[in-house]
Amino acid sequence: MHIPDAFIPLPQAALYWIVALIFLALAIRWARSELNEDKIPLIAVLAAGIFALQSFNLPVSMGTSGHLVGGALAAIVLGSPFAAVFILTLVLIIQGFIFGDGGITVMGANILNMGVIGGFVGYYSFQGILKIVKNPYLSSAVAAWLACLIPALACAVEMSIAGTFPLVPGLVAMGIYHAIIGVIEGIVTAVIIYVLAMARPDLVDTSVGVASA
Amino acid sequence: MMDNKTFIIAGLLISLLIGIVAVFLASGDPDGLESSALVVSGQKDLTGLSPEEGDPEVVGTGSFAYSSPMPDYSLGEEVGSTGGIIAIIAGILITLLVVMGASYAIRISKETQ
Repeated sequence: MHIPDAFIPLPQAALYWIVALIFLALAIRWARSELNEDKIPLIAVLAAGIFALQSFNLPVSMGTSGHLVGGALAAIVLGSPFAAVFILTLVLIIQGFIFGDGGITVMGANILNMGVIGGFVGYYSFQGILKIVKNPYLSSAVAAWLACLIPALACAVEMSIAGTFPLVPGLVAMGIYHAIIGVIEGIVTAVIIYVLAMARPDLVDTSVGVASA
Repeated sequence: MMDNKTFIIAGLLISLLIGIVAVFLASGDPDGLESSALVVSGQKDLTGLSPEEGDPEVVGTGSFAYSSPMPDYSLGEEVGSTGGIIAIIAGILITLLVVMGASYAIRISKETQ
């Protein structure tokens, strides 16, 4: 759901940048207090893995493809929605400036959707679902599905405000496609969290580590 | 349990493997946002296939244009999948280094205060 430059007029794109920068400042504050010698390899490898997986478009039928976004993954593994904002912002900057994937003026909107909304929806729905089902992998899969669907719906609303999509058809198309793409997000997120919890149980957030121990 | 160095190398190798396989196997169909753009502009049915020559950007009104050095994760048609592999390897290494560099910079700025 990388928005290209053509899809949002400049004044609106600037507003999304302001919101994104506020969350980025909070994410840097999170990084200052949380990142230590052990967490830095994890956050760097997660970012590299998210970049690689975002290039892997899988067919989801209906002439459409989709890939992992990774907001829920980053937030759950590192135990904070700001981890998703931090990682996704840097990934989106590299994708936008070097690979033309996602626009420059609209980068704030892309950070808001995939980093902020994806991270917060992923993190808090994971915590809520985990209390009910007690299984970190099932919880992370469902949370990641929501962290794909909800940002896509937010994106449809932004497209409507921009005059790019009509509201209801935009919501229907974005909702249907990302409800299916979200299945990829859910499965891949749960598998990676499982692998990370096996390889380095000390690094993953305690809500994953304790529940899987 | 893996030490940090092994963890980074293993994670990097897995990422590179995923990226290189993606150059050959990734679907060329439009993504969810592009497909939605094709639907709302009448170029595609909601559940139908996407047109070969569809242009999602016709719905857009923006005028800003930026040319990236490696558009669409490639070095151009003439370099083909070799260019795709070089682009994706570069992207993965840049991401690893940028995120690691930013993280260490934030840590050092904290310690020097």
